[in-house]
Amino acid sequence: MATEAAPMDEKAKRMRDLLSSFYTPDPSISTPTSSISTSFDNINGPSFDADQYMDLMIKKSNLDVLLQRHVQMAAEIKNLDTDLQMLVYENYNKFISATDTIKRMKSNIFGMEGNMDQLLHKIMSVQSRSDGVNTSLFEKREHIEKLHRTRNLLRKVQQFIYDLPARLQKCIKSEAYGDAVRFYTGAMPILKVYGDTSFKDCRRASEEAIETIIKNLQTKLFSDSESIQARAEAAVLLKQLDVPVDSLKDKLLEKLEQSLDGLQINPDEASKLAEHNVSSKDEESNNQGPAKIHEDAVRGFSEAMRAYREIFPDSEERLFKLARALTTTHFENMELYIRKRVSAADFLGIFRIIWEDVVLMDEVLPEAALSDLSAEAAQVTLKQFVARTFSHLQQDISDTLLKFDINQKEVVDGEVLKVVLEASGKAEFRQLLDENTGIFVKMNDLLIGWIQKGFQDFFRSLESHFLVLSGKTSSSNETEGLVEGKSSEKIHAGLILVLAQLSVVIEQKVIPRIAEEITASFSGGNSQAFIPGELCRVFHAASEKLLQHYIDTRTQKISNVLRKRFKTPNWVKHKEPREVHMYVDMLLQQLEEVGKEVKQILPQGTFRKHKRSDSNGSNTTTSSRSTTLHSDKMARSNSQRARSQLFETHLAKLFKQKVEIFTKVEFTQESVVTTTVKLCLKSLQEYVRLQTFNRSGFQQIQLDIQFLKAPLKETVEDEAAIDFLLDEVIVAASERCLDVTPLEPPILDKLIQAKLAKSKEHNNNNNKTTVSS
Amino acid sequence: MQGGSSGIGYGLKYQARCISDVKADTDHTSFLTGTLSLKEENEVHLLRLSSGGSELVCEGLFSHPNEIWDLASCPFDQRIFSTVFSTGESFGAAIWQIPEPYGQSNSSTLDCVASLDAHVGKINCVLWCPSGKSDKLISMDEQNLVLWSLDSSKKSAEVVSKESAGMRHSLSGGAWNPHDVNSVAATSESSIQFWDLRTMKNVNSIERAHVRNVDYNTKREHILVTADDESGIHIWDLRKAKAPVQELPGHTHWTWAVRCNPEYEELILSVGTDSAVNLWFASASSEKQASERSAEASRQRVNPLLNSYTDYEDSVYGLAWSSREPWFFASLSYDGRVVIESVKPFLPRR
Repeated sequence: MATEAAPMDEKAKRMRDLLSSFYTPDPSISTPTSSISTSFDNINGPSFDADQYMDLMIKKSNLDVLLQRHVQMAAEIKNLDTDLQMLVYENYNKFISATDTIKRMKSNIFGMEGNMDQLLHKIMSVQSRSDGVNTSLFEKREHIEKLHRTRNLLRKVQQFIYDLPARLQKCIKSEAYGDAVRFYTGAMPILKVYGDTSFKDCRRASEEAIETIIKNLQTKLFSDSESIQARAEAAVLLKQLDVPVDSLKDKLLEKLEQSLDGLQINPDEASKLAEHNVSSKDEESNNQGPAKIHEDAVRGFSEAMRAYREIFPDSEERLFKLARALTTTHFENMELYIRKRVSAADFLGIFRIIWEDVVLMDEVLPEAALSDLSAEAAQVTLKQFVARTFSHLQQDISDTLLKFDINQKEVVDGEVLKVVLEASGKAEFRQLLDENTGIFVKMNDLLIGWIQKGFQDFFRSLESHFLVLSGKTSSSNETEGLVEGKSSEKIHAGLILVLAQLSVVIEQKVIPRIAEEITASFSGGNSQAFIPGELCRVFHAASEKLLQHYIDTRTQKISNVLRKRFKTPNWVKHKEPREVHMYVDMLLQQLEEVGKEVKQILPQGTFRKHKRSDSNGSNTTTSSRSTTLHSDKMARSNSQRARSQLFETHLAKLFKQKVEIFTKVEFTQESVVTTTVKLCLKSLQEYVRLQTFNRSGFQQIQLDIQFLKAPLKETVEDEAAIDFLLDEVIVAASERCLDVTPLEPPILDKLIQAKLAKSKEHNNNNNKTTVSS
Repeated sequence: MQGGSSGIGYGLKYQARCISDVKADTDHTSFLTGTLSLKEENEVHLLRLSSGGSELVCEGLFSHPNEIWDLASCPFDQRIFSTVFSTGESFGAAIWQIPEPYGQSNSSTLDCVASLDAHVGKINCVLWCPSGKSDKLISMDEQNLVLWSLDSSKKSAEVVSKESAGMRHSLSGGAWNPHDVNSVAATSESSIQFWDLRTMKNVNSIERAHVRNVDYNTKREHILVTADDESGIHIWDLRKAKAPVQELPGHTHWTWAVRCNPEYEELILSVGTDSAVNLWFASASSEKQASERSAEASRQRVNPLLNSYTDYEDSVYGLAWSSREPWFFASLSYDGRVVIESVKPFLPRR
């Protein structure tokens, strides 16, 4: 019905309005707005007044219009009428159908009650059934729900894994290796289990990615430019990635080991290092010294160790080993270094550096017991150093001695050596003691002991060295041969004398001095290893031995001259003496040499005449001596005048007190010269005793001895002894002579004068040549 | 050192150089000594130590035609001895026999058993074979070494072999090895030579100049003691002859002679031209004791010299241990004085 009303336009609209106003009980309320405006003209309005409208119409309009109006009105009324009829009709119909419906409803409702009950019943049973189903399916549903959730999760995981390679790549790009590793390790178990199935590609891709990551991490780990932190992280990550860290660690530690080489103190550079260490104290500006560099290097090393220790907690052993290796190599190098000549300052410099290194490392690895290790090593090194210093000292001394050997003319006195000894002795070791680096403090006592012992040993070895140098001991044949081969006999003798004098100096000055020093600065050691008394004794003995040896070598040479002299001619068939034999010159020359050497080296003694020995004057031997010997002789040979002279000397000898020929040698020029001369004359006597002379042979001896008398007396303090010995030679010769006829004094004198003139001339010539040249 | 107050003296008439222990005399401690006088009548004295050991008795005095430079008693016949003598111009060597009975006459003459006249030059010494029974002799001059075989009953001596040591080696003396009768040590100008008597060849040598005297240690094989002018006494082990085993300082002047004690292996006597006799204790004569020695080294080093007998007027040349009573030794100084000393106070404790 509504659809039909659409084309109804104004007319229909108005109709509906009318109809609705019809249905509406109070039209004033329903259309309040329109009522006012259309109050007069609007015919449809509620306030329309037909009379007024009529009046208005009549007044306004003519007839035609009115007629028209009228027609129009009539038509409209007619229309309205039909419409109204229609409306009533329709409503009626509706009413009819409503009543029909109600009628039908009335009949339908009938019997609904029973249905309703039935329905209720049925619904109840359905509900109970559904409950039953519900309960019975609950678990399964739960399970299903769980499965469902799992599935969701799996889906997510799947998503994650599919995304993994991409994500990893992203991480690589942004170097967020940590995340990458986390992702990968997250995905790892899945990949491991299902890697062969659907994730194959995925797995491969992510593995590739991880490989690059590993590679990157490794390079990072190995690159020195990276910070330790970063490297440590890298190591941790690698470890998480199950990369064989051990091999990595090995590699790293190897690298560390290699870096050790750089840390070593090269023995060659050590001195530089030490120098710098010393000088850098003076000028702090010079910071780039090798010492500094070294320190930095070690610092870096210890840092690295610290880092590695954190990275690889299980690598401590290795690190310990490394640290120890470094320490030992340090000390080994140190040993190499001190093999050369090193001053105490340098030594200490190096030592300090090493100690600092050790302290640095010790901080990092306190368990490595580095300080103990280094303390031990330091002890060894220090001991070696002390020993070495002493041996250097000894080397110095022997060098100086050999130098002396070469230019003997220069008066190199023992004083020089003494100074060397003292200076180096004290200074070096004082410095050692003054050093208070931790380790030294600990070892002070030991050090003192060593130094004392060192001195003791030093002096002992010095003594034996002296003896070896002098060729006295044949303990080591090679050295003896060497020394003897190196120095000619002459130098040799001088050297021995120097050694002797040196021993005296050591005994009297150096040892007391050192003893003083020791009590002053090295006391406090537990063991008193330095025993000055003993050393003094040793050197005293050595000095005597050496002096004796000097005299021995000297007299030996003279003895050789004499031996040749007496072995060569046939004394029984000797010709008449025409001049003083030339061996006398050689003898005097030798003695002169001795005098020269002695004057250079030994002090002058207080002049005193030879004392007769008063010790064993009395003869305690139960002697049944036949004293008739000489008186018999005398009686028999009384006739010959010249002979009787000799026997007078014989007699005189009997009544003279026994002259002590072999007195103790003293360290004076005179004593040494005298002893030498005495020994030579004694040898002369002995040689004479081994021969048999004819008259001329005896005369030759007489002449030679007569000539010797004057020069010998000049050189020797003990004239009486010389006289005695010269006489002894004559006596010996006369005893061994078949026909004793001494030369007449005038002839003797003449020959001696001739010889003197000749030697004078010779000397002049010599002088001339030396002047001219 | 103190002079030997225990010494028993005996004076010869003239100067003398040599004294020898009469080894074959088993009943007495006897020594033979001969004088060295160019112009006087020379004598050989047979001295005997009285049983109490307090007196030295002249048992026989025999005139000898020439001055005696060397004298050695025969080890198996106490009446036989050898001398090396000089007439002043030439040298000779002979074997003598003391006439029987020798006790009575004061100056009887000696019987000449044999003259060892194969030499021209200066004869140094005559050595008797130390084995005791052998009749072998060696005489030595400066160039030659002659081995003799002596037949005392026939009064003859024959040259068994003769070998020249060469002109350059001037031999000066020697010693017969008591451990090896075929070996003789001879001292020369520059070395100690060891001769093998079977081949008469110089088989070995120790380079050592101017060795004056040499003696074998009778108790220890391979041990040899030498004395030289220059550096005293050396003890050698012949198995390692490069360097001496031990050195002793010797004497102030030349060390003239050394003798090892026939019984106490560590004791060595030396005499020197400084008019002294030194008694040494040298335990280093074998390397067996080397370790022991090092322990004692300091003590030993301090004083290997046990005693020095200095109561002599002149150089001492003659020296002999008594083989019968090995704590006695006889020393002879140039002035003709024989002194017998006992070393009992210094004997090592056993």
